[in-house]
Amino acid sequence: MKRCAPLAAVVALLLLVAVPASVSAQAKDTLVVGLVSHAPTLDPHMHFERVGILVNINMFDSLLHRSTKLEFEPSLATSWKALSDTQWEFKIRKGVRFHNGEVMTPADVKYSFDRVIDPAKKSPQYGNIRAIKEVRVIDAETIHIITDKPFPLLLERLVFFPIVNKKHVEAVGDQAFGTTSPVGTGPWKFVEWKRDQLIRLEAFDQHWRGKPPFKHLIFRAIPETATQVAEIKTGGVDIIRNVSADIVPELKNHPQAYISSTPILRVHYVNMDMRSAPFDKKAARQAANYAIDKSTVIQKLMAGLGTQVSTVVQPLAFGFDPEVKPYPYDPKKAKDLLAQAGYPNGVDITLHSASVADRPSFEAMAQMLTEVGLRTTPRAWDPGPAWNKFFQGEGKATNGLYGTWGNYSVFDADAVLHPLYHTEQGGWIGKWYTRVEGLDRLIDEARSTVDQPKRKRLYSQIQQLIREEAPTIFQWTQYDTLGISKKVQYAARPDEWLWLYDAKPAAAR
Amino acid sequence: MLSLLTRRLIRLAVVLAGVSVVTFAILHVSGDPVSLMMPEAPESDRVVLRQSMGFNDPLPVQFARFVHNIARGDFGQSFFHREPALPLVLERMPTTLLLTVLAMALSLGLAVPIGILSAIRRNSAFDHSATLVVFLGTSMPVFWTGIMLILLFAVQLRWLPVSGWDSWAALVLPAATLATFSTPLLLRIVRSSMLEVINLDYVRTARAKGVSEWLVICRHALTNAALPLVTVAGLQFGLLLGGAVITETVFAVPGVGRLIVNAIRQLDFPIVQAGVFLLALIVVLVNFAVDVLYIYLNPQIRVR
Repeated sequence: MKRCAPLAAVVALLLLVAVPASVSAQAKDTLVVGLVSHAPTLDPHMHFERVGILVNINMFDSLLHRSTKLEFEPSLATSWKALSDTQWEFKIRKGVRFHNGEVMTPADVKYSFDRVIDPAKKSPQYGNIRAIKEVRVIDAETIHIITDKPFPLLLERLVFFPIVNKKHVEAVGDQAFGTTSPVGTGPWKFVEWKRDQLIRLEAFDQHWRGKPPFKHLIFRAIPETATQVAEIKTGGVDIIRNVSADIVPELKNHPQAYISSTPILRVHYVNMDMRSAPFDKKAARQAANYAIDKSTVIQKLMAGLGTQVSTVVQPLAFGFDPEVKPYPYDPKKAKDLLAQAGYPNGVDITLHSASVADRPSFEAMAQMLTEVGLRTTPRAWDPGPAWNKFFQGEGKATNGLYGTWGNYSVFDADAVLHPLYHTEQGGWIGKWYTRVEGLDRLIDEARSTVDQPKRKRLYSQIQQLIREEAPTIFQWTQYDTLGISKKVQYAARPDEWLWLYDAKPAAAR
Repeated sequence: MLSLLTRRLIRLAVVLAGVSVVTFAILHVSGDPVSLMMPEAPESDRVVLRQSMGFNDPLPVQFARFVHNIARGDFGQSFFHREPALPLVLERMPTTLLLTVLAMALSLGLAVPIGILSAIRRNSAFDHSATLVVFLGTSMPVFWTGIMLILLFAVQLRWLPVSGWDSWAALVLPAATLATFSTPLLLRIVRSSMLEVINLDYVRTARAKGVSEWLVICRHALTNAALPLVTVAGLQFGLLLGGAVITETVFAVPGVGRLIVNAIRQLDFPIVQAGVFLLALIVVLVNFAVDVLYIYLNPQIRVR
C-alpha cells in the first residue's frame, strides 16, 4: 500500500502544475466564442453551415455587408446598381489586401463566383446563386453580374459570399485552402485549427476597416449546452449562442455574464397535410389556428423571447404586411369551425416534430389542439437522416409537421414562402403538404421581377391568401439569445451573425 | 494452441466483414446525402451529382466497389470535409483511445483493491459502503455524472477546467466520468470471484503453510479470480468506447465519437464507414488480446 504514496504525490503535483494554467482567465486581448461544432471546412464556399459562416465572416469579406439595422452597407463593393432586370454593376474597393499581402482585384471576385457556379465543384452554396449566369470583369474596379432571369435576391445572397484570392487558392489547392491555409481580406487571419477543439485567429493589421479591437479570436467547439454555460460562468468562454429559455434567468443575474437577445429570422410553423382529412378542409385548418394560445406559450415556455406572427412572413423580412392580423386565441370558435368541417365530435390526428429544443412548445400545442377536439398524438423524432428522408424527402408527415425555418438568413418573403409552400418538383416541403389554389403563381410572379414595389404588393396578396387558407398553424418567431461575459461589450444581431469586429473589451471598472 | 489463435483470427475477420456489411446497408437505406450536400439546388442538378458519385448504380455494384476500395485502405472522400475519410478518423483516434484507456486504468485501479478489501472484510461497514457506491455508480447516466462533476469541480470549486483537451488537468473529469460507468461492474466481479476462491482448499492450504496473508491474496487467490475480471474488462472496453461518445460531447473532447455522430447526422457515408470499421477493429483486437491473456492465465485452455 505504501508504494502508492509516491505515485499519488506525482499525480497531485501534476494536477497542481497543470491546473492554474488552464483555469486562469483568458488574456484581455483574447475573445473566446463557444460554438456547438466546427464546420467541416474553413473554405467559405464549400459548406453551408451556420457555425462555419460565423467563423468565415470574421476572416473573409463579401461584396456587401449588413448593418445591425439590416441595411446593406458597402464592403468589398463600394457601390452597386441594377443596369437591367438581369444585369448588375458593382464597383470594387481599391487597395484591399488579402492576408497573404496580395491586392484584391476584380479577377478575384470573378474567380470566387466561378468556383461556386461550377457544378463540378459540388459547392453546397450552388443552389443559392445558380441564377448567376456570368460574372464579367469590366475594368480594374468594375464587374457586372449577369443573371439568367430576374433575381431579386441577388443582393441578399452577396452579404455572405466571401471573396477569395485566386492566386492563393490555385497555388495551395482546394483541400489545403479549406484546412490549413485559408486566406481572406477579413479582420482576422488564420493561425491554427485543431479540429473539434479550436480555431485560432489573429488580428490582421492591414485590414481595410482598421485593426479589430481584440487581437486574438478563438472559436471553441463545445457541443453540450450545459458545458457551454459552465464555461461562460467560469470565464473559459466569452460568448455563447442559443441560450435556452430555462437558462436565461440564471445568466441574467450572474456576476460574470449577461444576456443579449433580439428577434431573428426564424419562424416556427406547423405545416398541415392538406392532401388528406381533416386538414383538406379549410375550416379544420382555421380551427387549428384558433386553438393555439400563442402568447401563453411565448411567456411560459420561451421566457418571453418570441413574437407572435400572423403568417410565416416575418416583420424583419422584405414584403411583410403589418395589416394582416394574427389568428386570436378562440377555442370556442375553433370548436365551431371544426363542427363546420364535419367533425362535431372531434377527430384524431398525429403531428410530427424533430426539433428537440422546441419539445415543450410542441407538446403544449398538441394539448391545446386536443382541447378543441383535434385530438393530437405528438410524435417527437430524432432530427437525423430518417427525418430528412421520410418527412421532408418523401412527404410522409400525416397530418402535419412542426418545424422552424431560418430563411437561410435571407431577409425576403420569398425565402420562406417558396420552400414552405411552392409545389414544384424541385421544391422543399410545400410540394408534399400544401395545396392552395393560385399560390404557386403568385410566388413565381413575385420572384421574377426586381421591381420592389410590385413585389411588395404581391407579397401582401400572398399573406392575405395564406392567412385565409391557413396551410399552416401560424405561430411565432424566435429570438437569438447570446450569453456574454461582462468583460466583453457586444449585442446580438437580428441576422444571427457574430460580427466580432463590433465586439469591444468592456470599460475597466 | 496455435490452431486456437488461428480460429480466433478468422473470427476476427468475419466480425469485421459483418460490421462493414451492416454499416453499409444501414447507411444506404437511411437517406440521400445529395439532398443534404446541395440544399436549394434543383432536382436536375442533384441527379447529375448522384450519377457522378455512383449512387445510381444498383446496391450490390456499390457494395462491390466499396469492398474493392477498402481492401486498398481507401474509405473514400468525406462528402462534407472534402478530404479522405480515413485520415480524419485516424487523426482523432488517439484522443478517444487515451480517454478510454485512462478510464479503464482508473476503473481497474479502483475496482481491484476495493473489491479485494470488500471480499476479505465481507459484510463489514466498508463492504456495505462499497456496495452503496456501486449502486450509485451504475444508476447514474454518463452525461449526468459528467455535468455534475463539471458543476462541482469546475464551477464551484474551480479546481479543474470545464472542458477541452489542452492540458492534463482537462483529462481528469472526462476520464473520471467514464470510469464511474465501468468501475461498479468490475468491482462487483472482483468481489464475487474473490469470495468464490477465498475459501477453497488450495487457499486454505497456502494459509496453513504459513504464507503471509497478502501473498495468499495476491498470488493464490487473485490469479484465479482474475479470469472473470479479464473477460469482463475486455467487454467493458468496447462499452467504454461507446460511452466515450457521450463523454466527448459533454467535455468537448475532440474524439472519434463526436466525428461519427456528426457524420451520421449528415449522412457522410465514408466517415461513418471508416469510423465504425476502426472502432470494431479495436474492440475485436482487445477481445483477441483477452483470449491470449486467458491462455496465459489458465493453462487448462492450452491443453484443450
